[in-house]
Amino acid sequence: MTAPPRSRSLARSVLAYTGLIVVTALVLVPFAWMVSSSLKQDNEVFAVPIQWIPDELRWSNFAEIWERIPLLTYLGNSAFLSVTVTCLQVLTGSFAAYGFSKVRFPGRDALFLAYIGTIAVPWQAYMVPQYIMMQKAELTDTYWSIILLQAFGAFGVFLMRQYYMSIPDDLCEAARIDGLSEYGIYRRIMLPLSKPALASLALLTFVNTWNDYMGPFIYLTSNELWTVQLGLRSFVGQYDAEYAMIMTGAVLSVLPILVIFLFGQRYFIQGIATSGLKG
Amino acid sequence: MTQPTPAAPPRRGRGRHHILVGWSFILPNFVGFALFTLVPMLAAFALAFLEWDSYGSPEWAGLDNFTRLLGDENFHVALRNTLFYAAGHIPLTLVAALGLALVLNRKIRGVQFFRTAAFFPYITSLVAVAVVWNMLFNPTAGPVNQVLEALGLTDPPRWVASTDWAMPAVIVTSVWRDMGYYMVLYLAGLQTIPREYYEAARVDGASAWQRFWSVTLPCLRPTTFFVLVMLTIQSFKVLDLILVMTDGGPGRSTLVLAQLIFREGIREGQFGYSSAIALVLFVIVLTVTVVQFRINERRSAT
Amino acid sequence: MITSGKTGARRRAVRGLGLVTALSLTIAACGSGDPEPADPNGKITLSVTVWNLAKTPEFKALFDAFQQANPNITVKPVDILADDYPDKVTTMLAGGDKTDVITMKNVTDYSRYSSRGQLLDISDTVRSVDTAGLAGLDAFKVGGSYFALPYRQDFWLLYYNKTLLDKAGVKLPDPLTWDEYAKLAKQLTSGDGGAKIHGAYHHTWRSVVQAISAAQTGGDQLGGDYTFFTEQYNVAKGLQDAGAVLDFGTAKAQQADYRSMFESGKTAMMPMGTWYISGILEARKKGATDVEWALAPMPQRPGATGTTTFGSPTAFAVNKKAQHADAAKKFVEFAASKAGAEAITKVGVVPALQSPEITKAYFALEGMPADELSKKAFEPEKVNLEMPVSDKTSDIDTILNEEHELIMVGDKSVADGIRSMNERVKNEVLN
Repeated sequence: MTAPPRSRSLARSVLAYTGLIVVTALVLVPFAWMVSSSLKQDNEVFAVPIQWIPDELRWSNFAEIWERIPLLTYLGNSAFLSVTVTCLQVLTGSFAAYGFSKVRFPGRDALFLAYIGTIAVPWQAYMVPQYIMMQKAELTDTYWSIILLQAFGAFGVFLMRQYYMSIPDDLCEAARIDGLSEYGIYRRIMLPLSKPALASLALLTFVNTWNDYMGPFIYLTSNELWTVQLGLRSFVGQYDAEYAMIMTGAVLSVLPILVIFLFGQRYFIQGIATSGLKG
Repeated sequence: MTQPTPAAPPRRGRGRHHILVGWSFILPNFVGFALFTLVPMLAAFALAFLEWDSYGSPEWAGLDNFTRLLGDENFHVALRNTLFYAAGHIPLTLVAALGLALVLNRKIRGVQFFRTAAFFPYITSLVAVAVVWNMLFNPTAGPVNQVLEALGLTDPPRWVASTDWAMPAVIVTSVWRDMGYYMVLYLAGLQTIPREYYEAARVDGASAWQRFWSVTLPCLRPTTFFVLVMLTIQSFKVLDLILVMTDGGPGRSTLVLAQLIFREGIREGQFGYSSAIALVLFVIVLTVTVVQFRINERRSAT
Repeated sequence: MITSGKTGARRRAVRGLGLVTALSLTIAACGSGDPEPADPNGKITLSVTVWNLAKTPEFKALFDAFQQANPNITVKPVDILADDYPDKVTTMLAGGDKTDVITMKNVTDYSRYSSRGQLLDISDTVRSVDTAGLAGLDAFKVGGSYFALPYRQDFWLLYYNKTLLDKAGVKLPDPLTWDEYAKLAKQLTSGDGGAKIHGAYHHTWRSVVQAISAAQTGGDQLGGDYTFFTEQYNVAKGLQDAGAVLDFGTAKAQQADYRSMFESGKTAMMPMGTWYISGILEARKKGATDVEWALAPMPQRPGATGTTTFGSPTAFAVNKKAQHADAAKKFVEFAASKAGAEAITKVGVVPALQSPEITKAYFALEGMPADELSKKAFEPEKVNLEMPVSDKTSDIDTILNEEHELIMVGDKSVADGIRSMNERVKNEVLN
């Protein structure tokens, strides 16, 4: 009949792996271009036609960039902002999400819809009124402006609420009958069970804050407060740009995110413990 | 640790108790959100009925901005382009992200590496993404067209150098870029599906395909809903990638609504008009989202 | 579904809040903008918006020279990234920012800020300054008043690779017409693929075709009739079709960088602005390139007398809400004066104030070409403004740019593209 199971699954594995490798290669090409550009001279980066492996590998770019701009300061600032915003977003977001998913009160769904609706508006539309407000509060040119603007987004609330919806209500009911307060349920049941969602929310928030350019650009004027993205753009002049330096910085800037991603992957392998449901 | 079971409180008190409790959960996030996002947004929407150049005093304009909008060719072009982009981006990204998540949810060797690789496009510098994809789509020397020619197409599209094919090129690039992002969300969602369900299905004799349809998809509904709504919203809001890849060009073939809002507002100083466009965009997206909510509710009920 | 009284009341409150906010925006924006009277004997800190302070040496040169001449004034630069400079300045000014001096990156930005009344009228300062040699001053006259003074003037000329021309046995005729330029470009093109040498490189900006055409034919870019562009487009497209110039689609898609094109030694001639002179001087000094370069006047139309080219001035303006208005005016005046011009000439930047001494000082810089043609290129007879200033400039600029792309990419023929320009500008802007 059919081929013996072992060789069939071997063929399938080989096919699957080949497919994965091809897709991975396609996916990594721009990053390869970034790395190759970071090892070039400025006027070679956009030379036509493209030269993937430069004649001369300028490793010195990676040493030079730390002196050209205060990259260490910028990395520290980015890290501070990203971590703070992520923590606040995860905490308040998951907290609010519990209210939206497991507690019933009138107006809940309409309010939630309004929340989601606000994500739909491009930031450019209300950038100026927001700035005026911040300036009146004298918060411009401080970290507070970025933190307050980005830590209380609707995205986190939405993500966590959807995840909580998939946690069976019976668990919460059982806990309520056992006498646990709503806050207790949140802390003892929802949080531990939603680790994958929390991890993905933390990761995505961190990446978005780390890569955010316009927010810090508008609000952080003093050079000591600049983030990595601003520092990289400082290589773009009025009529030309130091592309090699920009790419060097971009490669360095990606590394912390990779570390966090690799580190957070373990949360995507754990499954939910549903043994409490049975019996 | 154990507490005596309290008697069920009277129903009316319970209702008020619930309102208080519900709001106490929401408040920390809501206060920050309302103050720093909602209020400026409402101010911006109010601006749609005014005329303001960001310096003098606003003047009442009533519905002038909206009548101008209806007659503005730029608006219609941008609306059409945005709809086209959304129609292409949403289904393709959804399928790609789900596919990736399913494939990479197993304990195969090197899965961490492949997952990280899938996420790479999202964190790669936009400039790098634009340059490389523009190079791939190069009408004469790019690999895409070379492959198409090898497959027998004699006159391959000129991609970013043509008005008809610039938007499809942008869509392909953005699908490639966003699939890793939504894959992460799907991976989290896949973790909620209890293994027992799969085993029960296997015991019942279901094939892999049937297991997917009867176990995976239904359990993923909240996640799919979330992904769909976020994809919709972000597709209508798209800006950064377009700016870097084509800057709305060639001509106006990739001009999108967010770009128009930005241009009319910050560049031209017509804040009343740009707010009107933003308000229209908001209403469109809200309508689509409400429809998605209703469909999701009906499906969950069955 | 849920429209209970509580929610309805909440919605009304929220709407009311929106109106209150809109009103408060009015108050915020008009605001209390009384500048403090400047104490002429006390220490003053003058804030000036700049871009990329570290990479743009002219600012530091000006600030140092100014502070030396005025010891009681310290200049505090507000560093804003060049890429999105106008966006941030607009937002800052909208919030009632009190920065004293606002640098006008180009005339389009200037026309926006001046038309919104965000700049201080400095006509009295202009009257007290020697404006005889100040190039580009006219551009800043709005309704009879001046709101900014130029300190820098960049205009366009032709850069060429001496080695490539010598190798082909070509010498640039003086004067050079567009037909001769096209012929030379085709002659200087050689090779294929990676080793291809292009006869010329035309950057993707619309000014490369449109501004020079307007300057040399006298056409009005705000007029709504753009038939005068036809000749120049034919030249540009002809060169593109002949392969002598990198095609627009590729250049735009791959974000071709004019510096890379020229410094790689793969381009023989390149029309570009004078700002590039300091760039290539630095590149040669650093060893990033070894191109032997020289300058020539822009190609002219047949029968033209003298050199006509286009340019763009950079200026300083005073914020209407400035805290130290008098000191600000002093700075603006200094930058446009001989002292300011000398300061920036030393760093390779072309000042707005033109005089034979300035030219001599400029060519004394290390690495400048010494031949007569280069010197002639530096003193064009007529420098037209790249784009005239009016409240319609920005809208027309957008339309012209969009149609320019369509023509150069081949989506529309030259005639169709120009017809679109005429129609769109007339219907969308001028009606």
